[in-house]
Formats: sequence, structure tokens, C-alpha cells
Amino acid sequence: MTTSTSAVGRLLPAISSLLRPPARDELREYGGVGLVRRKRVIDVGCGDGRMALGCAPYASEVVGVDPDPEAIRLARSKARELGANARFKVGVAQELPFANEHFDVVILSWTL
Amino acid sequence: MVDALREAHRILRPRGILIDARPDSRVFAYAEHQGATSKFRPAGVIATAREEHTNDRTSDRAVTTAVGSRWFRPLRAGRFWHRVLFEDRPSLQDYLDDHARFVHRVRWKVDEAKRRQWDDDPWAIRRAVRFELFERT
Repeated sequence: MTTSTSAVGRLLPAISSLLRPPARDELREYGGVGLVRRKRVIDVGCGDGRMALGCAPYASEVVGVDPDPEAIRLARSKARELGANARFKVGVAQELPFANEHFDVVILSWTL
Repeated sequence: MVDALREAHRILRPRGILIDARPDSRVFAYAEHQGATSKFRPAGVIATAREEHTNDRTSDRAVTTAVGSRWFRPLRAGRFWHRVLFEDRPSLQDYLDDHARFVHRVRWKVDEAKRRQWDDDPWAIRRAVRFELFERT
């Protein structure tokens, strides 16, 4: 499992999908895409949307939440670029603006 | 962190899945050199910074609280390894200098002359990621 970058530590110190495994590899470790297929998924602490966008082709609904507005802006831009079925919101893990029992899967990837 | 887990419990349907994944500070990371055969070989070990150990322990305690409170039931845990690639050794060192997770100095297993010889070659940090899947009760 490899992440390729030449910008690590220089260009993207904070919002760095580049420092993390590709979402498909990470999902495979957790049990594969079956885990999120046709599920309602939330990626809490989503950063620039790495895992949320990785789940989007399979899930019925994907939401990413992160306190960093710049990260959310990037995630939205990537989602538009990919035509991905994912929404992104600025917010904190301690106060998520969603109804009780709404999601099938909660992802805390490099968040806790 | 406990608050975040309580909130995860609230928004998850019963029997929904919580995935918690984080860098695994219980094991060293490796500084690896890519040789002529394209294979990466460990050239040094990199420890996790003390503050990050403390943060990781706090996260562990939060998870223990969530499980102890019966918000979640553990399903499966594991670890995988992930390589972050660098163009050369100075880039790897820049990364260590700038980031808080690791200590800034590699504990080298190869001598300085060898390292200098390899300065312009590709390098990587190979680090462990631990994960656990939980079912919402």
C-alpha cells in the first residue's frame, strides 16, 4: 500500500490525502466495498474527502464532515470534478447535524 | 473524544458499523531506501513523538469508555502498513522536521557514507495503521 507524492511536508501539510493510503486500499483492509455498498455513510473528520469520495461510487449516500472550511472546499471541488455522489459540510465530530440513527456506517479514519 | 463516539452512536442505526483507524504508535515506522532493484529496504527506524503517544492513549481510553458503556461492540481489529514516498532523502527529512507525529531523527541502521550515497534516490516512510470495526448496539 503506497502513497506517491513529491509534495509531502511542503505543499500540503494540513490537508493531505497525499499522506494517507488510497481509499480503495483502506476499504479493502476493513473488509472491502461490501461494507459501504448501498449504505448511508458518514466520514467524520473527512479532510479533503479522501475516504468519502472513495466510498461514493458504492454507497447510497455519503457525507463528509470536517471542521476545516478549506478542507471542505477542496473536498467539494474534488466531488464536482469526479461527479461524485457525496456531500460535504463544515462541522465537528462532537455535534453532528444529522438525525438519530440516520447512518449505516460511521468512518473515523485518522480522526480520533 | 468520548463526545465524538457518543455522537457517532447517536447517528448510527442499531447494528450499524463504526470504523476507527489511526496511525499505530505501538510499533516503529521505517525509513526505507529504494535500491536499483526497485525494492524498498529498511535503512532506519522512526519513533513516534511522546505527545502523540499521549494522544493515542487518550483515544484508546475513549474507545474503552464507549465499549464499556455498551455503545459499541468490537467486531474485528487489524493493522496494515502504508508507504509514503519521497523523491529523495532530504524530502523525507523535511517531512520529519515539519510533522509532529514522529520524532525528527531517524535511528539509522546504515552508516552516514552509505546514506549520503543514497541521498538522491527515492525513499519512503513505511508506517503502521491500526483499525477496529465496531457494531452499534
